[in-house]
Amino acid sequence: MIARVRAGDVEAYAVLVRAFTGLALRAARALGAGADAEDVVQQAFFKAYCALGQFRDDSSFKPWLLAIVANETRNTVRSAVRQRSVVGREATLREAEPLIPETTDPAVAAVHDERRTALLAALEELSEEHRLVVTYRYLLEMDEAETAEALGWPRGTVKSRLNRALRKLKRILPAELDPREGGDEHE
Amino acid sequence: MSEPRHEGDGSRLPGKKREPRADRGLPDELRALGRSLDGLGPGGESMAERVLAQILAESVPAPVAEPTAGPARMRRARRWIRKRWRMLTAGLCGVLTVLVLTPPVRAAVAEWFGFGGVEVRYDPSALPSSGAHVPGCGTSLSLGEARRDAGFEPLVPGELGMPDAVTVTREPKARFLITLCWREDGHTIRLDEYPARLDLGYTKSVRMQPRWVGLGRDTGLWFAQPHLLSFWMLDGDGDRWTRSERTAGPTLLWTRRQEMTLRLEGVDSRERAMEIARSVRRPDAVR
Repeated sequence: MIARVRAGDVEAYAVLVRAFTGLALRAARALGAGADAEDVVQQAFFKAYCALGQFRDDSSFKPWLLAIVANETRNTVRSAVRQRSVVGREATLREAEPLIPETTDPAVAAVHDERRTALLAALEELSEEHRLVVTYRYLLEMDEAETAEALGWPRGTVKSRLNRALRKLKRILPAELDPREGGDEHE
Repeated sequence: MSEPRHEGDGSRLPGKKREPRADRGLPDELRALGRSLDGLGPGGESMAERVLAQILAESVPAPVAEPTAGPARMRRARRWIRKRWRMLTAGLCGVLTVLVLTPPVRAAVAEWFGFGGVEVRYDPSALPSSGAHVPGCGTSLSLGEARRDAGFEPLVPGELGMPDAVTVTREPKARFLITLCWREDGHTIRLDEYPARLDLGYTKSVRMQPRWVGLGRDTGLWFAQPHLLSFWMLDGDGDRWTRSERTAGPTLLWTRRQEMTLRLEGVDSRERAMEIARSVRRPDAVR
């Protein structure tokens, strides 16, 4: 597909955009783009197109694109007030509510409003590195190799930071709100 | 690539239970949280439309894969892009400026490179007239005068020695261009030097893909074929500027340490052009 884009077939790029819009929007929102997510994603796709000449054929498109989305989000968020991004995220989530049919994914349904807010707040408290690794690995559902590629870290670093970030999240999160706590208590 | 497991990584091994069990639920929750961010805003279809419209509106040529000269070369190129990301995106703003001033080129524009002072686009419809010739420098200044007028130090290629003529041209937005000229076997070799500061000095419309060349730590493009070169000059009153266009012959275009864009015209051999480019240094180091 990328070869076709490089051969001048702009329509082929549309196919890529269609395929990755969902993920890119999720990434922008997860990384704090809030209400700007759509513009951020549009800009990221645009920049990715311009830079596609430098894309390495042996690497995968997803982490490459997400790195651009993250960069674009960072630029946008940085220029806005930091607080706004938290508010933006929460607003996004509230808006999201009626659009997600509860039946499609029990896991989605299981995460209640309060818990989401708590999770987001906890993510906010993590360091940048920890927040990024949790976001890439779980919110964006990338595997370890993709996470490593997108963040430009060795896989060992991804693993260790992820473990530490999860432990920290666990500490920050109010235990009484964790709906899963009961199912797996024996350590 | 699988890495050997570190000893301290035992939590991943089957049978070990070092990871707090409660953590297991957390990833699922986080995944669900991620999914809850979907389903809003434009779908892929309308986003594709928006992106394509932007690409078209800004006449961005299709990205063309860099010639692969081994992974080291690619890494360098990627580093180059990372370092100049801001410059490249600013270059895009420059493209917009061009479009305001020139009718949008709807032709399949298939190549885009952003250099500090130069925008390169591949346009198959760009027909250079025959008989490209290198314009000379005109009335010459001394290198010192050029430095004073332009506000930056002109660089001189040791390979060509001191120039026969030096001129300074005022470019839009109070930028200056220094041009050095040499006469060699009855024709002109010309080196344009432009302080690469996110501004657009030239547009090159090329029919053939230029070729990436490495110049030590710097990167350049070699245009083997004649191509159209558009540029802007201030009118006599110094306020309004006009676009002029001419056919340029083989050209080497490169940036030097992010500070300067250089353009060498009038040398037909790529190897020699690269040698000249590598020999560029401050005038006091050139005899």
